[in-house]
Order: sequence, then structure tokens, then C-alpha cells
Amino acid sequence: MRRSWVVAVVLLAGACTGPVRSSSVYESKAGQTAEVVASAVQTALLAVDAAEHDQAYGRYLTQVLVEAEEDAGSAQGVFDGIQPPDDRADELRSHLDDLLTEATGALTELRIAARRGRFAELPELARPLPEVGRRLGDFAEAHG
Amino acid sequence: MKRLFSIALGILTAIGGFVDIGDIVANAETGARFGMSLAWVVIVGVVGICLFAEMAGRVATVSGRAVFDLVRERLGARVALVNLVASFFITFLTLAAEIGGVALAIELATSVNYLLWVPIVAFLVWLVIWRVKFGLMENAFGLLGLALVVAAVALWRLGPDWGGLLHAATHPVVPQGEGHPTWWFFGIALLGAAMTPYEVFFFSSGAVEEGWSRADLITNRLNVYIGFPLGGLLSLALMAGATLFLEPRGIEPGHLSQVALPTLLVLGKLGLAVLLVGFFAATFGAALETGLSCGYSIAQYFGFQWGKFVRPADAPRFHLIVLLSILAGAGLVLTTIDPVTVTEYSIVLSAAALPLTYFPILVVANDPDYMGDKVNSRLTNALGSVYLLLLLVVAVATIPLMILTKAGS
Repeated sequence: MRRSWVVAVVLLAGACTGPVRSSSVYESKAGQTAEVVASAVQTALLAVDAAEHDQAYGRYLTQVLVEAEEDAGSAQGVFDGIQPPDDRADELRSHLDDLLTEATGALTELRIAARRGRFAELPELARPLPEVGRRLGDFAEAHG
Repeated sequence: MKRLFSIALGILTAIGGFVDIGDIVANAETGARFGMSLAWVVIVGVVGICLFAEMAGRVATVSGRAVFDLVRERLGARVALVNLVASFFITFLTLAAEIGGVALAIELATSVNYLLWVPIVAFLVWLVIWRVKFGLMENAFGLLGLALVVAAVALWRLGPDWGGLLHAATHPVVPQGEGHPTWWFFGIALLGAAMTPYEVFFFSSGAVEEGWSRADLITNRLNVYIGFPLGGLLSLALMAGATLFLEPRGIEPGHLSQVALPTLLVLGKLGLAVLLVGFFAATFGAALETGLSCGYSIAQYFGFQWGKFVRPADAPRFHLIVLLSILAGAGLVLTTIDPVTVTEYSIVLSAAALPLTYFPILVVANDPDYMGDKVNSRLTNALGSVYLLLLLVVAVATIPLMILTKAGS
């Protein structure tokens, strides 16, 4: 009984992060990461839309943008912690990382502006996001 | 006139008190991911909770004792202990989720980290339970919870394709790219959210707290048969909002702030303010109910004096259990575990424990020694048995599905 618990704990711990053995599993994790970050990007775009039309309170908008940035950053962090199993995975990682960095960079700019109360600047800062969001969505669909 | 007012108040309170953090999270997540294809589960859940809450209320009204007060006496200490352990664990987890939910709702209004609000929320929950009269507490937060109607108003103002929504709800299809196991897993989560065990603990104990007599049987029925289904409509409104706004954009709501987006985008600042009041009231009201239910369940099993109908000094162990539960619930949230994750697990595990909660109610509601001529009708028994069978299947499937789908991810 005790041994089975040890095995279960080791398996669970191993499932958290670390290397994946096959390229297809890595690809699936890449797709899932793209999906999470695309969701954060779309959320931020709705918040920016609300800010542009003066539909929401600043504190709420700030909170939405903080959470969107956290979600994207955390997904990127977890993905970067996974060991790519082969060259093909390296390529995939490089391609996705560019997209993730672009998305998280823009989300960080939005969060900084919102925290400083500069809500009028949000639409301008969010300009790259629709395109990044679309590419992330396409990536998730292709590799999910 | 006074009676009519009392019935209307009871119904309104039941509507406002129906939705809690579990319903908010489960319906928004499901709508965003599966559209309206799982709306039928909400209806199954509402019918189920109506059926068993009416039984629990009737038992309390006729016998003058809360249903779980009778479970140990009727089914013996061992069976009742299994029931107690399962139900208490789920209720405690739900309490933690509700405390986290209140803190998240305040965070949305203030932009101050929710963890800083948790101790304050826990203190307020304890203070209200300790000081405020049962009727006032139930009515105030139930009525305030009606603010969630704003989600339905936003849907109506948006003027969606009602026929399309209805068609999607009545012709359920697993969306492309989603697996059947995940779809069923989310269905189970929705059922767990609608039929969460504390609702019957609270409903039956509440009937004793308010001193219901046989004359109140009609109030019991109207509260349940009108109030709960209308509360279920609020759940469906949240699901439909997520279907229309979040699903097309691929947004998977993991935060309360995202659940508010559909209402905000249709109704603007005023809609958002009213919705946040609704979130606060629904979660705070449910925190009170789950906090009390923790005390009810243990005190009723061990035969301690319980309830707010006696002075706290006369029910010290009951109040101590409530206090410790609130402290432990707040402690759990303060570990920085995501309250939405706690909610997700509480509703799924709630689904796994449902037969343990509802089987004893069916047994007691059929016992003429307690119920006299108010035992279940044949129709109620038939429906109750069908539901128990369904809940048993759900309970068996829950954990394998959770593992298979990695908790729906």
C-alpha cells in the first residue's frame, strides 16, 4: 500500500513539468499553450474595447489586464520549462516562443498603462494584439 | 396579505440564493467551451435539487427536525458517518471556494489583491453568522443576490438569436475539437454545481431555524418549485452570455473578471456595478450557508445543540465548529491556491458524493414514523429513484473522467 502511494506521488510529480518523450506530446503541449495565450489576448482585447468606449471602471479593467498578462506569462513559463525532445520540437518551440514573447510583451505594456491610469493609450498599445491573437489561434488549431 | 408577502419574499430569496460561485464558474466555463450544448444538464440538476430540497424541507416541516438530524437515528451511526464525512468535506471545500469568491468579487471592484481580503471576508462571515438573525441574514443576501438578474437583462438587451440558442440547447452536439469524455466531465461539473449537498443541509436546517409548521408546507413547495427554477434561469443566462461573447473568441474563463465581460460589453458601467454586487451577494450568502452547514452537519450527527434559533451560549459546540470551518476555509484560500480551481474541484467532487447525500433523504422522506401522512407520493418516489440511479452512475464516472481528461483540460 505504502509503495503504491510512493509510485503515485512520483508519477504525479513527473507529470507536472520536465521532459516529454515524444514529439507529438510536445506539439500538443505547444498547441495548448498557444490556446491559453490566445485566450488571454482575446480577453485583453475585449477589455481594451470596453476602455475605448468608456464602458468599464478603471480598477476592473486593470484587474482584467493584470490577469491576462499573468495567464500568458505563466503559460509561457511552463512551456519554456519543457525539454524539447528533438530538432523538430526545437523548431516548433522557436516559432511559438516568438509569438508568445510578442503577446506577453504587448500585454505587459497594457498592464503598465492601466496601472498608471492611462486608459486612453490602451487602444494604441493593443494594436499588435489582433494579429498576434489570430496567429496564436492558427497555431493552436494546427498543433492542438 | 402578510402570508402572501412572506411567500413572495421566500421565492425571491430562493432565486437570489440559488446561484453561488460553483454555478457562476461552471456555467461560464461550459458556455465558453461547449456553447449551449450542456444546458440540459442545468435543467436536470434543477429538477433534481427541487425534488430533494422539497423532500428535505417537508421532512423538517413535518418532524420539526432537520433531515440529517434523523439520518443517524434512521440509518445507524456507520451509514450516517459515511454520509457525514463525504458531505462535510464537500461543504467545507465549497465554503473555502465561496470565501475566495467573495474576495475575488471585491478584488474586481478595488483592484486590491484578493488574498488581502480573505481574512476580512472570513471575519465578516463569522460575524454575520454570530450576530445577525437567521431570517434577516437569509433574506438580505438572497434579495441582494437578485442583482445577478442583470446577466439575463444583458442577454435580453443584446437580442440574440433566441431560436439558435434554443436549438443548440435542445440538439446537443459535442463541439469540433472537443472530446466526448471532456464534454461529459463538464456535464458532471454542472450537475455537481446545481445539486451541491450544502443546499439540502441548509434548506432543511433552515426550516427548523425558522420554525416551519405543517402550515408552511405550501411555502416550502413554492420556494422550491418556483424559486429554484428561476434561479436556474440565471445560471443559463450566464452560460448563454459566455456562449455568445467568449466562445467565438476562444476565451476560456479562468477568472471571475472574464465572466463579467458579456454583461459589461452590453450594459456598460452600470451593468458591471450591479453584476459585481450580485457576485458579492451570491458568494457571501453562500459562504454563510456553507459555514452554517458545516456546523449543522457535524452538530446534528453528534447530537449537539445546534442552530441560530438558540443563543450562541446554548450551542457553543455548533458555533465552535462553524468558526473552525471558516478559519480552515480561509486558511486554505490563503495558501494561494486559486479559488476558481478550488471551486472546480468542489463541484466535481460534489458530484461524486451526491448519492451519499441524497439517498438518506429519500429513505427518511418515506418513513411513516417520521412523516405520517406526508410520506413521498409514488411519483416523487419514482422520480427520486431515477435520480438516485443517475447520481450513482455520475458518482462512479466522476473520478475516472477526471483522471482521463486531466480535470477537463
